[in-house]
Amino acid sequence: MTNAYQEHGAAQEAHAGEFDLGEMLGHHILNSTEYELPFIGPVHLPHWPELAVGGLTIDVSPTKHVILLLLGALITAAFSILAGQRVARAAAGRAPSGLANAIEAVVVYFRDDLCKGYIGHGYQRFVPLVLTLFFFILTMNLLGLVPWGGSATGNIVVTGTLALVTFVVVEVSGFLSLGFRGYLRTIFFVPPGVTGAMKYVVLAVMTPVEFMGKFLKPFALAIRLFANMTAGHVLIFSVLGFIFLFGNYAYIRWLIAAGSYGLVSAILLLEVLIAFIQAYVFAMLTAAFIGLIRHPH
Amino acid sequence: MGAASGHLLAGALPVMSVAQEAEHEVAWESLFAPDIGLAIWTLLTFLTLLFILGRFAWKPLLGALDAREKGIQDNIDEARNQREEAEKLLARHREQLAEGRRQAQAVVAETRAAAETLRKELEARAREETQAMLANARREIERERKAAVEAVRTEAVDVALAIASRLLGERLDADRDRQLVASYIDDLTESEGALA
Repeated sequence: MTNAYQEHGAAQEAHAGEFDLGEMLGHHILNSTEYELPFIGPVHLPHWPELAVGGLTIDVSPTKHVILLLLGALITAAFSILAGQRVARAAAGRAPSGLANAIEAVVVYFRDDLCKGYIGHGYQRFVPLVLTLFFFILTMNLLGLVPWGGSATGNIVVTGTLALVTFVVVEVSGFLSLGFRGYLRTIFFVPPGVTGAMKYVVLAVMTPVEFMGKFLKPFALAIRLFANMTAGHVLIFSVLGFIFLFGNYAYIRWLIAAGSYGLVSAILLLEVLIAFIQAYVFAMLTAAFIGLIRHPH
Repeated sequence: MGAASGHLLAGALPVMSVAQEAEHEVAWESLFAPDIGLAIWTLLTFLTLLFILGRFAWKPLLGALDAREKGIQDNIDEARNQREEAEKLLARHREQLAEGRRQAQAVVAETRAAAETLRKELEARAREETQAMLANARREIERERKAAVEAVRTEAVDVALAIASRLLGERLDADRDRQLVASYIDDLTESEGALA
């Protein structure tokens, strides 16, 4: 699969002086083979030879969202490892500091209220997954609010892959804790008390529902995160775009600029909240799905 | 469709008509492009991050939290045990104190009783001794008195005999006269009882 992403840098230079809101939105939201750096401008990312895997040609060349993905992972790793060391040191008798306390509070909440609460017995194995999902998604979400940043979580492929991880963990843990027969019952389920011909009616109706539910849950997970991040960015850049759209109008442009500035500031604060909420929802639902399949009906 | 939506956005505003004529188009269809390369990147990045954080962040962090919680629980348990121990000790000490006080009181009471007995004994002995001494004194006095009376009586007989012999002008036979006088005095004594 060849990369069909456009290269905005050249386009922008060619059409200097004209403003295209759609182009600006696309530039900020879509994936790209170049990354715009502060003071340097757009940097072309290397194009690697495509991999051919059984008829499929896969382009693994780094893109803007790959850079943001890796950056998010690095930041998450740095903060989490630092906090882990600090908390470990604090537990050994040293006074804990601010960062360690903050991350510790979140970790304790995720461990006790989400993992222990939803998953119950044997929850310990899933705590690292839920924590990593939360902090990784949160970091990627917040990177979208930083100048020259962007949200990898505004890409459906990224959120879909993370949801796929959740899906696999949910199904595998369900299979392991329920056994083969128990796992089959999560698809072919007859409520107790239903007998005779009704059993087959219920089976006929419920089996597709249960089966689809397995895929719809992670699908909703992926769409929710992607849509929230994308919508937030579309909103921010649309409102900012008003400044340039009305740039040719005398007097009124100052009013528009001031209004946009105020509105975008407010929306950005809201986006910070949404970044936290969506990361939390993803992690929380992952824990909830694991709990649901391990304690069916 | 993606490109059309981009134009739709632009067409909504009058200024955009200029930009619409631009050659380039926004590749909106890439918004939903099944980019397998990115999926592989995401999967590898996430799994690597999960592994690294699991090992170097969550493991020490959760371990430290568990250790601290266990430590606190241990401290609470230990404090409870120590309090129970202290309460037990206190109860025992109280009991011992009460026992000691009881014993002391018993000793005091015993001592007091012994002292009382001793006092009574001494008192009784003293009284007895006094009585004996008094009785002795009385006997002595009686004896002395009797001796005195005897002496007086003898002297009186002699005096009476002397007087009588002088009066009678004859000497009376000593022994017979003496007996006579003595009997006379005895009669006198019996009739008067003054010298008895």
